[in-house]
Amino acid sequence: MATHADALHDHHYHAPGLQHQFEDMGQQQESASIGMWMFLVQEIMFFGGMFTVYLVFRSKYPMAFAAGSNHLDAFWGGLNTLVLIVSSLTMALAVRYAQLGKRNLQVIFIILTMIFGTVFLGVKAIEYTKKYKEGIVPVAGLNMRTAKTASTHPGGRELSTRTGDTQDPRESLNTGVSESNTHETGEHSYYNPTGTFVWTDASLAAQAQQGGYLTDSEKIGYFSNGELNANKFRDKVRIFFWIYFVMTGLHALHMIIGLGVMAWLLWKAWMGTFSAAYYSPVEMSGLYWHFVDIVWIFLFPLLYLLGRHFLHGGAGH
Amino acid sequence: MQNVDAINVGNIKEEPRVNYLTNGFTLKSWLLTKDHKRIAILYLVTVSAFFALGGAYASLIRLELLTPASDLLQSQTYNKVFTHHGIIMVFFFLIPSIPAILGNFLIPIMIGAKDLAFPRINLLSWYFYMAGGALTLYALLRGGVDTGWTFYTPYSTTFSNGYVMAVGLGIFINGFSSILTGLNFIVTVHTMRAPGMTWFRLPLFVWSHYATSLVMILGTPVIAITILLMALERLARIGIFDPAIGGDPILFQHLFWFYSHPAVYIMILPGFGVISELISNFSRKKIFGYEFIAFSSIAIAVFGFLVWGHHMFVSGQSIYAGLVFSFLTMVVAIPSAIKVFNWAATLYKGQISYDTPMLYALFFIGLFLIGGLTGLFLGAMGLVVHLTDTYFVVAHFHYVMVGGQVLAYLGGLHYWWSKITGKMYSEFWSKIAAIIVFVGFNLTFFPQFILGYLGMPRRYASYPDEFQVLNIFSTAGASILAIGLILPLIYLTYSIFFGAKAPANPWMLPGLEWRTASPPPTENFEETPIVTWEAYEFGEESGLDLEDARNRNKVLV
Amino acid sequence: MAERIKTATESESHHHEEHHIVPLIYYFGVFGVLVVGTILTYYAALVDLDWIFPGANTLLALLIAFFKMGCVVLIFMHVWWSSRLIWLTAIAGFFWLAIMFAFTMQDYLTRGAGVFTG
Repeated sequence: MATHADALHDHHYHAPGLQHQFEDMGQQQESASIGMWMFLVQEIMFFGGMFTVYLVFRSKYPMAFAAGSNHLDAFWGGLNTLVLIVSSLTMALAVRYAQLGKRNLQVIFIILTMIFGTVFLGVKAIEYTKKYKEGIVPVAGLNMRTAKTASTHPGGRELSTRTGDTQDPRESLNTGVSESNTHETGEHSYYNPTGTFVWTDASLAAQAQQGGYLTDSEKIGYFSNGELNANKFRDKVRIFFWIYFVMTGLHALHMIIGLGVMAWLLWKAWMGTFSAAYYSPVEMSGLYWHFVDIVWIFLFPLLYLLGRHFLHGGAGH
Repeated sequence: MQNVDAINVGNIKEEPRVNYLTNGFTLKSWLLTKDHKRIAILYLVTVSAFFALGGAYASLIRLELLTPASDLLQSQTYNKVFTHHGIIMVFFFLIPSIPAILGNFLIPIMIGAKDLAFPRINLLSWYFYMAGGALTLYALLRGGVDTGWTFYTPYSTTFSNGYVMAVGLGIFINGFSSILTGLNFIVTVHTMRAPGMTWFRLPLFVWSHYATSLVMILGTPVIAITILLMALERLARIGIFDPAIGGDPILFQHLFWFYSHPAVYIMILPGFGVISELISNFSRKKIFGYEFIAFSSIAIAVFGFLVWGHHMFVSGQSIYAGLVFSFLTMVVAIPSAIKVFNWAATLYKGQISYDTPMLYALFFIGLFLIGGLTGLFLGAMGLVVHLTDTYFVVAHFHYVMVGGQVLAYLGGLHYWWSKITGKMYSEFWSKIAAIIVFVGFNLTFFPQFILGYLGMPRRYASYPDEFQVLNIFSTAGASILAIGLILPLIYLTYSIFFGAKAPANPWMLPGLEWRTASPPPTENFEETPIVTWEAYEFGEESGLDLEDARNRNKVLV
Repeated sequence: MAERIKTATESESHHHEEHHIVPLIYYFGVFGVLVVGTILTYYAALVDLDWIFPGANTLLALLIAFFKMGCVVLIFMHVWWSSRLIWLTAIAGFFWLAIMFAFTMQDYLTRGAGVFTG
């Protein structure tokens, strides 16, 4: 933006893509850039709330978190990290070719970004499906059948004691809840077909007890009358999986929104909207995409890898 | 000095052929408008409706408390009524009121821009507000919630039989409105200022909105995720907020207050901005300590994030954390005090005219002082053990929120009414109303300080007989306050249709908003203004003739 | 007169004007760092580092993650070539996050016996 006098001179000239409230492209581009970064700041705080929840519970129940984490498949998690990194590279290149005004390369890299984004979500879907089949989606109401057929499904028995137990005082208190409530519908066909994951495997807690590094919260949280209580341990593992699903779910939601943005961007790029003079939308979408990538960079070690050293490190304690 | 001339001729200058109000009359031209001024009007209408609804709930509360027994409302219903009052007033009136109405209307004009940086996002934020409001209203009408506006867990997640999720979702959606408004303001102030409008020439109204926007962007997403977690927790019943199985209800309070304490600064900071404008302009004097007031707004926004634990002194939070939060609470009082001192110093030897907006501003200073100082009582860790969850708390935050924010809002609305509508309201009736509001307000809430100190707990429909006299005072005051709030509705509406036509600059003031027509044209200024003067410049050379202004004022009154 | 007065946005947008076309080598360099970082993260998690101090594994994983994030923010997101305001914004975001962590944890880490009861 030169002086204001200049801006007045070409008052009638409007660059393509320039909105009426701005004087020139520089001002518009700067506004978009600051606005996008402000948006990213609020995204940081949005995920930050979840990270705070993670931090609090991890510091309270590290062993339960390790037990839950060890059941996640680090292969899929790692693969997804790589997929997302590649998509970030293609996105960065898409922005670069938009800056250079090269339409074809721009389109190609946007498409590649979308493909990798979709692969990420596909892997996520595989993981979620696996978790669902193993019955570790920690939602009350799911896995209800397991309670009724507990004798035939020994693997899923422990899992259901709380969710399916109608003696739970919280259940009876909630019979009057007026919102849609899965408890009231009665029959559920979900169950734990493989039963591979034993929620109440509290061996890590026992290990920590022997090693003498249980936290204060764990000493209260896992034990009843000085005895290790597998059911109480299970509740804490459930908290881990709850946090896992909320965090990765919100991340996946952001990926889906990102793919929607990409689709719009692809259409615009295809139409040749962007040029070396006007490419803000590509750049802003790129910022968003990289941000979502950064969230995953933190989620991967914090969710998938936090307890591996207990498995591989031998009896260090 | 072309700009000075522009002021002097402001009143005789030819009116723009089309102003923002006459630029289109169809419903579509309003509902799909991208003009920040029209969006501000949309907010004005809807926020006022929510204010009326919240006020209706308040009247129910006061009526119930007229007698010691729980007779008008059952306890269950009473719980819902005060919850609805809180939710509507906090999320749908106090937070959007000044920023979304006055800020939206004035910030682009005050900095000499054609519009906000993102007009479409501005409209979108109004639709978010409407969607969140509609969902919340639906939930309230279907039966509502009884958790209190704070939604404390595990009651809200486990035991409450209400539409917690629907209301939570409504607030969640409404949060986006707040975030987008804040984002828009920040970008606008950074990039849209007119030539010559440097940071330290910005009106303090803009500075305070900048600080408010920071809080909106940094705080609101946290309440969004918190409410989302609460809703999901209610759906799935994992127990992360349920102490029975190792969850942590205090974590909810941490997350909730991380936003909701800074949110009280979202509510009061814009009020500070309005008051700075009013005090300086109606004293016809450059504001004392401009930089101090500007930076104290930013300081409040920053320190406001460090004190949330003072809502949790008796919750089971560690004593060490309580001490830190208590200390920082005392610290955050400093920037607020700086403002009050600077306002007082501005009044000193000023040529004060007691127009209606100024009356509100003066009332504000007194009431905010009481509200702020009683806040120090509540920030003291020892004293709070006695005062927590009593009417002392209720009186404290009503002194800040109603005595502070609502009075600032009313003062600002009167002050810029001529600019917004192009019509003058009745000075007589507005002064009467301002005085009625002041009297009614004090009669309502001052007895509550005493009640709280005597130990009357909040949030109960019934109370021991000995508290009745003070409660009758309070209810009587509320009736007077209601009259004071209904009056402006009548005479302001009347003025739209029958009021005298407002000149561009009825008080001969130097701000940019007074250098364009009333109501302004859609593009705000005929041509982009070039700012060559400091903020609040009332000197000889400014060309703002005081005598002339007073005469003009006499004519207007 | 208009010539003399700088436009309000000029000083801020000046920096932004010169759009830097980042050489490809930077992008591929960052990509390499990210891939190596990911692999490193995985294998570092398998080694038991608790003998240093409890939680050393997590600290290492976070250090790698912060390094990766720094690369993405600075190069992919062009912050290195951006105005000071963008730097400030990015830093402010993490600063506020740190406030939330620190002030929440100052409660949890000082619960129970210890600070005052000895």
